[in-house]
Amino acid sequence: MSILIDKNTKVLVQGITGNIGTTQTRYMLKEGTNIVAGVTPGKGGLKVEDVPVFDTVGEAVNNFPIDVSLLFVPARVAKDSVLEAIDAGIKTVVLITEHTPVHDVMEMKAYALQKNAILIGPTTPGIITPDECKIGILPTNMFCPGPVGIVSRSGTLAYEVAANLCAIGIGQSSVVGMGADRVAGTNLVDILKLFNQDKDTKVVVIVGEVGGTQEEDAAEFIREEMSKPVVAYIAGTSVPPGKRMGHAGAIIEGGKGSAKSKIESLLAADVKIAGRLYEIPSLVKELIS
Amino acid sequence: MRLHEYEAKEIFSKYGIPTAQGGLAKTPEEAQEIAKNLAKPVVVKSQVLVGGRGKAGGIRMVENLNEVGAIAEEVLKAEIKGYKPEGVLVSEKVNIKKEIYLGITIDRTSGIPIIVICSEGGVEIEKVAEHSPEKIFKFEVVDPQRDIYAYQLISMVKKIGLTGKTLTETSNIMAKLYKVFREYDGLIAEINPLVLTEEGKVLCVDAVLEIDDSALFRHPELNKRKLDAMSERDKRLMKKGATFVKLNGNIGLICSGAGLAMATMDMISDYPALSPANFLETGGGITSDLMVDCMELVLEQPKLEAIFINLYGGINPIHEGAKGVAKVIRERKLNIPIVAKALGNRQEETWKTLEEVGVHIIKESETQKAVEFLAKLLGVKAK
Repeated sequence: MSILIDKNTKVLVQGITGNIGTTQTRYMLKEGTNIVAGVTPGKGGLKVEDVPVFDTVGEAVNNFPIDVSLLFVPARVAKDSVLEAIDAGIKTVVLITEHTPVHDVMEMKAYALQKNAILIGPTTPGIITPDECKIGILPTNMFCPGPVGIVSRSGTLAYEVAANLCAIGIGQSSVVGMGADRVAGTNLVDILKLFNQDKDTKVVVIVGEVGGTQEEDAAEFIREEMSKPVVAYIAGTSVPPGKRMGHAGAIIEGGKGSAKSKIESLLAADVKIAGRLYEIPSLVKELIS
Repeated sequence: MRLHEYEAKEIFSKYGIPTAQGGLAKTPEEAQEIAKNLAKPVVVKSQVLVGGRGKAGGIRMVENLNEVGAIAEEVLKAEIKGYKPEGVLVSEKVNIKKEIYLGITIDRTSGIPIIVICSEGGVEIEKVAEHSPEKIFKFEVVDPQRDIYAYQLISMVKKIGLTGKTLTETSNIMAKLYKVFREYDGLIAEINPLVLTEEGKVLCVDAVLEIDDSALFRHPELNKRKLDAMSERDKRLMKKGATFVKLNGNIGLICSGAGLAMATMDMISDYPALSPANFLETGGGITSDLMVDCMELVLEQPKLEAIFINLYGGINPIHEGAKGVAKVIRERKLNIPIVAKALGNRQEETWKTLEEVGVHIIKESETQKAVEFLAKLLGVKAK
């Protein structure tokens, strides 16, 4: 079991003919992801690695059953492409694209909510259920199957946490990058809810970072409803306020979003805090055994 | 992109928000000229992008118009918290009866705009939130796809006790501010204070507008202004999505991923003798050329004693990036210690390229191991 995706998931790639779209499609196919179709307006009729390309998402869904759409599209058309996927009835949309205008993200998020769809991203590395399905850009050799669910605001940190767990023989049920922008399509709490319901996830690891109040909100949910043990790490304890650390979301503004406030809220919800990245594996190991 | 007060006021004014009269001066003579035309007492305001101008002497009242030039000269010369002003705004002095606060920002968790109205203006809203939170009213714009209606705004503004003409005028201004926020891809749009004058007018006296950098393609004029102020290298980095922040320590950092970079900074900071010289996140567009730019930027840091590279090859072709690093090391005959951890797609090629030019490669997944190696190399201990 897993969350969001498994070996039966059928995937559409929007922006499949672009450089990144094609490269990543090749990686995913090699690793066993079931990519059934691609979309690039104006490129209908082509094939990428034997995957048929359509001009619109509507045409793709008329020809194939599709569970998830994965987007490698330029930021300026991200909103249009996400709304197109949702309008075509696709219920899970993964937006890899970086630097999407936040006003567009607000609109997509509102639309997804209205249509009961899940939008993961933007600026997400995607989702992986190790040995079953990868939807995104995560390097597969960092992951292995097992009982730990990981949700991360940062892409590359998710890779490192998974790899460090694998190094001591602990695998993952699913790993979700929730995206690093100011506004995320799906919030941390929503991902925790999914892990809480997944019977094969025994422990959940939150990889958070400074900025926003996602971790504080998650702490409230964990205290009230979470039935599984949680380990959390917050990146950026040494970050000075007012400086934006790469991610649109990683900034301590007006006293809000500091690592200290997040760690305190999570501790109050009985979450095990890893002060540094390398402390995560031993904390997880204790909870599993 | 944070705009200067005078730029924000120009935009607000274009949308029909009444603002205090005045203009931008870059010389004392221009300041004197603007004051002469206004023919009333003025305020000379330093145009810098840092908070707390007033306390730092960047805002000066001038009653005697003959003194405007001399005072403008002082303000133009004075740095505020290390920043040189772009000019001074010479603005009519208004007779304040009441000051209020109007602002719009984004609630990051719900992903919707939040309108904030406060019956106390002219001070930092965070300060008011601490001492009298009852004066602040927040409203969620439930549907960001839709405009707000006049009746909604009137009900909001009524909460701070305004009545009659002031109520409708302030509601109108709020509607215009929301339009600016939406059409300019605002992260923050703020009028602080909005002044109700003794003469019964409602005027925007100070303005803040911060625009989403990711949306600048929709605002070519502002984008040009931003680009004009950047170096060629900074432009190349921005185009590739890389972010650099100067931090003044002794360890240069190049990381693929902001979270990874922050986690690495945290670990380096555990050694009292080490601190990051910079934050540098490559984004997902690594090429050989980008890494050349990254290396050169890091090498410019004045206290640099070593470079730490931490990369993952997911979307990033790290084997290409390694070529750029190697090129800089060869061409500059560098002998500064460089430690690199690089994992993911095509990691073996990456290691080979870097090892050939003397980079210390850590092949384990734990960044901590690489930081420990760096510390040992430099002969320093953790606290």
